[in-house]
Formats: sequence, C-alpha cells, structure tokens
Amino acid sequence: MKSNQLAIGFVVLAVIFLVVAVLYALGALQLFASTTSGPHYKHAILFVVLAVASLIAANFTRAKTV
Amino acid sequence: MTPAQALFMGLLQGATELFPVSSLGHAVLIPSLLHWSFKQSDPSFVPFLVLLHLGTACALLIIYRTQWVDIIKGFFTAAVRGRIDTPSERLAMLLMVGTIPAAILGVFLETRIKSLFASPYVAAGFLVVNGALMLTFEQLRRRTERRAALDSRPRIEQEEGFAEAERISFRAAALVGACQALAFLPGISRSGVTIGGGLMAGLRHQEAARFSFLLATPVILAAGVLEVPQLFARGVPVGEYIAAAILSGVAAYLSARFLLRYFRSGRLDPYGWYCMGAGLVSLGLLALNL
Repeated sequence: MKSNQLAIGFVVLAVIFLVVAVLYALGALQLFASTTSGPHYKHAILFVVLAVASLIAANFTRAKTV
Repeated sequence: MTPAQALFMGLLQGATELFPVSSLGHAVLIPSLLHWSFKQSDPSFVPFLVLLHLGTACALLIIYRTQWVDIIKGFFTAAVRGRIDTPSERLAMLLMVGTIPAAILGVFLETRIKSLFASPYVAAGFLVVNGALMLTFEQLRRRTERRAALDSRPRIEQEEGFAEAERISFRAAALVGACQALAFLPGISRSGVTIGGGLMAGLRHQEAARFSFLLATPVILAAGVLEVPQLFARGVPVGEYIAAAILSGVAAYLSARFLLRYFRSGRLDPYGWYCMGAGLVSLGLLALNL
C-alpha cells in the first residue's frame, strides 16, 4: 500500500515517539515505569527504536517517484 | 551462590534455553527443589540469568554469523531504499516486525513479571501450561497436514509441504514476536511458543526453529546489554559468572546444532510431554516439601 498520506502519518508518529523518548530520558514521564522518579532509559531506548521503525515504515509506504 | 552452583546454572541455562522447555522455569525450579540457599528474588538473580542468556546469544550469533551479516546488510539496504528485493532483506524486516512487540511488552510488563520470579509454584504451573501448548501446536499442525493430504507421506516429505522462514507474512511475524513476551513468564518457553507460532504460520519445523532462534537473538542481546551493568555494580563474583556464561554458550551451541538437526523430521511432542511431567512432578515435590 503506497500512500504519501500514510507516510506522513508514520513521520508524525515517529516525531511523537521521539518526544516521548526524550520525556522518559529526562524523567519527566513516569507512565508505566517501575519507579515513580528519575529517568527511564529502557523506555527511552524503546521509543527511539519505535521512532526509527516508524521512519522505515514511512519510507516503505511513500509513493516512489522512480 | 557458590561457584559450583553458578557453573551448574550456566550449564542448565545453556542446555535448556533453546529446547522448548523453558530455561527460566528450570532456573527458578531446580534451585528450589535442590534447597539451594541463594534467593531467586535477589536483585542480582535476574541480571545473572541475563548474563547466561548473553552466552546463549553469542552461541546463536556464531551459528548464524553469515546469515546475520546478510540480515544486517539487508536491513539497512531495504530501510534506505524503502523496498524489499531479496530474501535477506525480507528476513531482516520480518525480524524487526517480530522484535518490536516483544520489546514493547518486555519493557512495560517487566516489573510485574519479575514479581512472579520468586515463586517456584508459578514456574511449575506454567511448565505444565507450556507442555499443553506444545502438544496443542502439534495437534493443530497434524490437522493441517491431514487437510493438505500430507499425513500419509514420510516426515521429510510432509515438511517439504511447508514454507521457509522468509515466506512468513509480516502479520504472522508480529504475532510470533508477540508470543515471545509469554516467555517472560517462568515456565513458558520462548523457543517453544515462537516455534509453535511459526508452525501455525505454515513454516517447516526446522524453519520455525531457525526463525525462533534468529528472533530471540536481538531480544536476548538487548536485555543483556540493559541488565548486565546492574550485575557488575553489585560487587558479585564476575569471573565465576562469566565462566558460567561461557559454559551456557557452549551448551546452547550444542543444543542449537542438535535441534536444527532434530527438527528436520522431529516434532514438539516429546518436549510437551516432558514439560507436563516435569511441571506436575515439581508441583508434587514442592507441595510435599521434599
């Protein structure tokens, strides 16, 4: 399924994941974390990975010009 | 934990990790049954197990070293190009899709699942469940073989009627990957549920095992990299634990070689019956406090 709208959706998702990753890394976000204070690097790494996966998905779904 | 106990745990972990019998379940159950005094609820126990898993991951990396080179190259090529052209590129993307659900579930459910580690009763119970799962997977596979009129053929020919790992669908890869999260429960086997998932997706037994082993490697490595620093920070006997991890790797290497040969024509049934028996016997021994 090739669609630029879908690709843009994945890019937006990637940006959201990156923001969430930064919030976890700074300790500003404690959602679903084992402790209620401090940074959560595991969660941050996970969201960076999800952001990269979203960008790959965007590249796969965008309409190719060639 | 004495040096002998650490080495025994390494051997046990390596020998049971790739067999569909739950290494974690055995690692929780056997020390309890042997009345070993170290506490499985100790914060250093899980990182120690992860260190042993790293030994296993190294064994898998050695076995599939040429495939991993192709997979990594394929991953970057396909990701940049935005298109899959070769089986290696497809396999790389399938592994990514399969790894993400396990990573999400692992990170978010980790704490709750860890609280279950302390109970050998839970591990024994889940070992019985694991056995039932293995037998169910094989029953469903036999039904598929009957529908495809393969049941009267020799086992090798039956297996040839099913697909290679690269042919699995992306949806199935995600489902098999999500099944990996079940293995955070002590007693449920990661390789068992992923091989079973692969069978349900129409893979040959040997290919389901290969996909399972490839899928396990990034998760085990990531868990190891994240947990091992905790182990070193606690002043534990690192030398002994590394020796145990090496022993674990050697045992895992031999296990993987055996299993890949076994699954050319073998089924999950013997492991299913073993898990049910071992789980029930363990529950009995624990209840009687023997």
